Amino acid sequence: MRFFALFFALLFAVSAAGPPDRNPAAPQSPDVQAGEKLFREHCAQCHGALAQGTGRAPALRTAFIHNASPDFLMGVLKNGILRRGMPSWSSLPEPMRRQIVAYLKQLE
Amino acid sequence: MRSIYRYRHRIRLLAAAALFLFGSTLEASEDPYLVTYSHQMEEPGNLEIGLNEVAGAPKGGNSFLSSLLELEYGATAWWTAEFYAEGQSTAGQSAIFTGYRIENRVRPLMREHWINPVLYFEFETTNAADKALKEIVGHDTYADQLVPNAVARREQDREAELKLILSTNAKGWNFSENFIAEKNLAGDPWEFGYAFGMNRPLALAARPAPCSFCRENFRAGFEMFGGVGTLREFGLHDTSHYIAPCLQWQVPGGPTFVVSPAFGLNRNSYGALMRFTVSYEFSQFGRRAQRLASAGPGESR
Repeated sequence: MRFFALFFALLFAVSAAGPPDRNPAAPQSPDVQAGEKLFREHCAQCHGALAQGTGRAPALRTAFIHNASPDFLMGVLKNGILRRGMPSWSSLPEPMRRQIVAYLKQLE
Repeated sequence: MRSIYRYRHRIRLLAAAALFLFGSTLEASEDPYLVTYSHQMEEPGNLEIGLNEVAGAPKGGNSFLSSLLELEYGATAWWTAEFYAEGQSTAGQSAIFTGYRIENRVRPLMREHWINPVLYFEFETTNAADKALKEIVGHDTYADQLVPNAVARREQDREAELKLILSTNAKGWNFSENFIAEKNLAGDPWEFGYAFGMNRPLALAARPAPCSFCRENFRAGFEMFGGVGTLREFGLHDTSHYIAPCLQWQVPGGPTFVVSPAFGLNRNSYGALMRFTVSYEFSQFGRRAQRLASAGPGESR
């Protein structure tokens, strides 16, 4: 019983931690805002809260991403790059993936 | 109180290690099935801890609660490993440990296709008192599980299980089909089973504002599973089958809950079962554990 109490206490204590600091250049479009929220939930852990990159995954605030076509980015999100550790996000519905791409495209 | 005081240094160290290891979370977008597998893999380096509960009150038997602790680790983006420890408590009898399972899932194709195969290998050592209903194969029926714990726990089974998982994500829906083959290593014939399911999120696009109860955080669907006999007696004769609606709630930045009542479809099945799961995903567990292991005692504080 104590084990379960501790288990759930740990779960909720960790889940109570707030999101990382917001991007100071807050986007305006609802899709971009939703994309930013999804990015923080699904991508920030590897790519960094501000998409600045970490030791685990590259920065996404790059000219390459900015200039890439939305279809190309949609393809990367859908397929992942499994051999290099990028998981497939095909389980996210296409409109959510489009919102993430909208967020990525406006990064500078 | 005195014992807590005595162990305060160890408690601090454990708390520091827990914060270090579990300090951040990541949300996978998972499917709400409890038996069926999709081609969704665990993110590399992440550890998911889950608790799966199954409660039933069979006709002619005592009510029971089966618990299964699940540790799921993303070894790579195409390989996920899992460990399960399971037990059950039956009213008027006992609460016992029933065994463990080790499984591996591998995605052989590196890109998304219309149908995505996953190969599944499992080894399990359980006793006959196991009531986790992690899969139904062969001629499994609810009557097998009415044997009292004291008797059933003496029968140990070592089994290997293979699954072919086929899964499709389209228009927000997931469709998954599992073909199951299980072999008792003591020499019984191969047993076969199936599971399939479909689900989708209640909203396909996310709302701009953070929210816990908005529709995008819920997925609903159903799964169906059962046995199809053995190599010697293939077919639906003396098999059991279930249909189970499932509802999942993924708390943003928090745990994931699944509620799924299962209903028996023939007289060999339990009439109804209540299934419940809570799980939590710890991001980059492997990397953090490595850093903790390589850090000296002074650095870990």
